[in-house]
Amino acid sequence: MAENTPKKSEQALEASIRTEFGKGSARRARRADLIPAVIYGHGAEALHINLPERATTRAVRGSNALLTISINGEEHLALAKEIQRDPLLQIIEHIDLLTVKRGEKVTVDVPVVLHGEAAPGAAVNQEHTTVSLEAEATHIPASVEFSIEGRKVGEHVHASDLLLPKGSTLLTDPETMLVNISEPTVQDLGEENESAEGETAEGSAAASAGDA
Amino acid sequence: MLIPRRVKFRKQHHPGRTGQATGGTTVSFGEWGIQALTPAYVTNRQIESARIAMTRHIKRGGKVWINIYPDRPITKKPAETRMGSGKGSPEWWVSNVKPGRVLFELSGVSEEVAREALRLAIHKLPLKARIVRREGGE
Repeated sequence: MAENTPKKSEQALEASIRTEFGKGSARRARRADLIPAVIYGHGAEALHINLPERATTRAVRGSNALLTISINGEEHLALAKEIQRDPLLQIIEHIDLLTVKRGEKVTVDVPVVLHGEAAPGAAVNQEHTTVSLEAEATHIPASVEFSIEGRKVGEHVHASDLLLPKGSTLLTDPETMLVNISEPTVQDLGEENESAEGETAEGSAAASAGDA
Repeated sequence: MLIPRRVKFRKQHHPGRTGQATGGTTVSFGEWGIQALTPAYVTNRQIESARIAMTRHIKRGGKVWINIYPDRPITKKPAETRMGSGKGSPEWWVSNVKPGRVLFELSGVSEEVAREALRLAIHKLPLKARIVRREGGE
């Protein structure tokens, strides 16, 4: 019933140490096609670095990207913990990288991807789009897939129904409902006397404001 | 139509129009969304009109989320009135939308239907907008 997409491979990136801080230097770095980032974890002191923009943008596409960062010849295995993006330009402004070790278990949010078609006349409501998993840092699944083919109205998919890859443990509550197959809700199409409704609402706007 | 049930003050200053949205900039509930690219005051009528345009197109099966709420009153003085004599009376309820804000979200329909429904909804809004998809989606 359920399958899992293979883990993403590690991406290698060259980084340089950042010596100046603050928004001025961060903006200068971005103008020079670099992305300011910080790498921390395992009790070590945080390292402030600059990453190449194009290669990094490609590498962190998707969720839970695992990167091998080379800093002055020293290699760091890191997980992209948080990526700050400009909401309009969609460029990456900053990345938080968490140092991990090979074989170490990490907690990650993995997207749940549904495929297949539910029974005719059923509405599929995906209540949660990710599940929290504990997995080996080097074996994080890109997504957890689940087939809803032929599911009927009234059926539910819980977190416990997912078939997880070997070595992964579910951290989300197993009773969490991920997908709810229901009757399509009848939407208010606003067909009944729209103009009259508008007038009433205008009047009530003034009235409600007058309540204060 | 969306209207606050009760407000503390009838008349407010005009909401600020500068800057970008600091929150609500990603698609969080559905699969598809409308993201504002310019600032605007979106009235409750426009929100309702966009919602109706969307739901009429998707017919049955889809789900629509409205992420903005018209909680700011805008006042207007009557026509041909001399200046002074205090602030006008509340006329509209608006949501102060800034660039980057995701206004509506949609799920449970095919990509083709979703894009057309959102395109129709964008035409009801007083701003430039684009269609965005949930991060990590297919």
